[in-house]
Amino acid sequence: MFGLKAGQRDGRELRELWQVDIEDYVNDLAWSGDRRFLAAISVSGQVWVYSHDDRELHRLGEHIGGGSSISWRPGTTELASIGHDGTVKLWDAAIQRLTGELDSGATWGTKVAWRPQGTSLATAAGKSLRLFTTDGEIAYESSDHESTIADIGWNPDGSAVAVAAYFGVTLHIPGRPVRRLEWKGSSLALAWSPTAKYLVTGEQDSSVHVWFMKTGRDSQMTGFATKVLELSWHRSGNYLATGGSDSIILWNCSGAGPEGREPKTLEGHPTRLTQLQFQHRGDDIASSDADGMVLLWTPLTHITPYFMRAFESPVTRLAWSSDDQRLTVGERNGTITTLGFRK
Amino acid sequence: MTTSSRVPVTVLTGFLGSGKTTLLNRILSENHGKRIAVIENEFGEVGVDNDLVIGAEEEIFEMNNGCICCTVRGDLIRILGNLMKRRDKFDHIMIETTGLADPGPVAQTFFMDDDIQTQLSLDGVVTLIDARHVLQHIEDSDEVKEQIAFADVILLNKTDLVSSAELDSLEARIHSMNSAAKIHRTKDAVVDMDKILDLGGFDLDRALETDPKFLEPEYPFEWSGLYNLKQGVYSLVMNEGPDPAMKAAFFKATSATEQGMRDTVEPAVLCYSSEEHVLEAGELITAGDQLFELPLETTPAKFAITIPEDGVYVLFTEHHPDEFTASLQDSSGSRLTPLFTREYKPDHQHDDEVTSVGITTPGDLNLEKFQVWLRELLANQGTDIFRMKGILSFQGMATRYVFQGVHMLFDGRPDRPWGDKPRSNSLIFIGRNLNRKELNAGFEACLV
Repeated sequence: MFGLKAGQRDGRELRELWQVDIEDYVNDLAWSGDRRFLAAISVSGQVWVYSHDDRELHRLGEHIGGGSSISWRPGTTELASIGHDGTVKLWDAAIQRLTGELDSGATWGTKVAWRPQGTSLATAAGKSLRLFTTDGEIAYESSDHESTIADIGWNPDGSAVAVAAYFGVTLHIPGRPVRRLEWKGSSLALAWSPTAKYLVTGEQDSSVHVWFMKTGRDSQMTGFATKVLELSWHRSGNYLATGGSDSIILWNCSGAGPEGREPKTLEGHPTRLTQLQFQHRGDDIASSDADGMVLLWTPLTHITPYFMRAFESPVTRLAWSSDDQRLTVGERNGTITTLGFRK
Repeated sequence: MTTSSRVPVTVLTGFLGSGKTTLLNRILSENHGKRIAVIENEFGEVGVDNDLVIGAEEEIFEMNNGCICCTVRGDLIRILGNLMKRRDKFDHIMIETTGLADPGPVAQTFFMDDDIQTQLSLDGVVTLIDARHVLQHIEDSDEVKEQIAFADVILLNKTDLVSSAELDSLEARIHSMNSAAKIHRTKDAVVDMDKILDLGGFDLDRALETDPKFLEPEYPFEWSGLYNLKQGVYSLVMNEGPDPAMKAAFFKATSATEQGMRDTVEPAVLCYSSEEHVLEAGELITAGDQLFELPLETTPAKFAITIPEDGVYVLFTEHHPDEFTASLQDSSGSRLTPLFTREYKPDHQHDDEVTSVGITTPGDLNLEKFQVWLRELLANQGTDIFRMKGILSFQGMATRYVFQGVHMLFDGRPDRPWGDKPRSNSLIFIGRNLNRKELNAGFEACLV
């Protein structure tokens, strides 16, 4: 192994709370806002819910052909899922039942995302973006993309949806013309800063693109080892963590932005990063890699991790609960493990 | 991740109607013991139990600078990436491209995306050709030319619909474009799976081993004949021809078979690139690795050849003997008939055609000079160079250096030691507008 030792941080200690096995590559994980349910979707399309109350794993159903993404409707026990069968499925975790099915517009479903207010569901499938009302009506649709959509994301106030695809980003506000943030490259992942000052994309050509939303100015951050899929903002909007290599790069985006500032490098992973997740309200970041290592850091104050644990297979997903007290780890081999801070 | 755990991927190209769907159906339904995931770019649903069939629409991604080598297939990155999450479900992946697809971005995707590079290996490009209709397209379709140029294996399909003479000429035409590809004649796309799967076409360990013939250069001779000769003195008698001199070499072969003659071709090519010895009056030609120039100022000219021991010998001549009404005669003056002959047609393609340029040269290369030459060559002509492969001998390096590439992308590394094999360089470029003379001269300038 490598010579890394996890240091102590003011009594932060994690222990395993529970572990289940869905026997298939964990493609997405999400905690419900009330922390009662953890949802998972596997690559072959199985949709699961683990109930934290009764400590039981329930299989809700499946997307035949493959599963991609899940999203909890804020303030509810309703879950949306999308896969490769041309549908969006709506489930209620409280009763463990399918409650609705929507047409996603194309077979290859990429992502579902509920609006922060819970009043609209954005879905991406093929080249098609759809916004559904809570009644399942299509309120907005756009197929005007250069390639299959790679990622979508609501801006923090829920007024617009950003779409990442080949040729950059498009911004969609129902009733308004599409705003284009053009960039000749293939954008694979996007992340809004919590204050909506920036929209960043991870690129196929091993770079990160930063859009300054007020002015429309853009800037390019290069030097990554691989394409960049891992992007996570600190809650303040002042720090952006990026992957695309063995190291976490932390960019200071306060004030005038990251240009000309030396970023912080957090080293400790022996191999390529697979996930980066800042806490929702705290300052800690969880990271994972293709060897199955999970590390926890307090990157604003320390460049060494305070927790490490090796899992059996490559870690494919990390999800914090809304109170940041639980961290769930999904693996390639189908194991899902939830760690909790010792009280 | 080790090389062996990478999942092999076969790319199937060919025009609509060439038999791709027939072949795919066969691959999916035949009991060959492999679970194959198919990515289809063209219509026609073929799904069978156990096999995964995924429809895809071609998405070409040009990366920021618009350079052709940075053009990749976004749909394949996405779909292959997803397939790799389910890699326990299949043993092999097959990508069917549309009839008009450019194989370049498909191949480049395997060099340019790190996830794909670590988990998958491009096993080979298989191109199906409709033997009956291809002649209508071959001259004016860039797609047909590119699909032929990129191929590791070419299936000349629908052979039942054309005459064997037409097939021969078509095969010769295809061979002149891509002399590295193996050509199989098929009917209804019937072909053994082991001829199209596990080719190792882009695998440096195997690409240069599987078929030593692939590095066919432009031959510096036009004819060879194999003779069974007793010890003694013979003569080569020549009359007036199109040139005032002719180069010839005599080699001893291991057997009186076509294979025996083939085995002498490579040493003969190497010999022809060495300095010729101008034959003086009265001097004898000897069998061995010496190139002789035979002056023909006065004709008929008679050149004496001494054969030191009984055996099988191969004569290589710069021009066809018929052009000089030349013949090998024994001491009694009777003309000898060779057991086997072979003609080596020089390439007379137009400049805008797709051709193969093979270079075979003995000696060592200067690493630095070669790097500069290749870098400049690829920078200027990478767009036109579809594929290249080679085995090189660098000065001071005990091992062979093997390389291969697609357009401007290049992959190479030291290989096994030369041992007691003579050190030499063989490489092939397959591309458009290739200037054989310049390539040869440029390469030779890199020799020590």
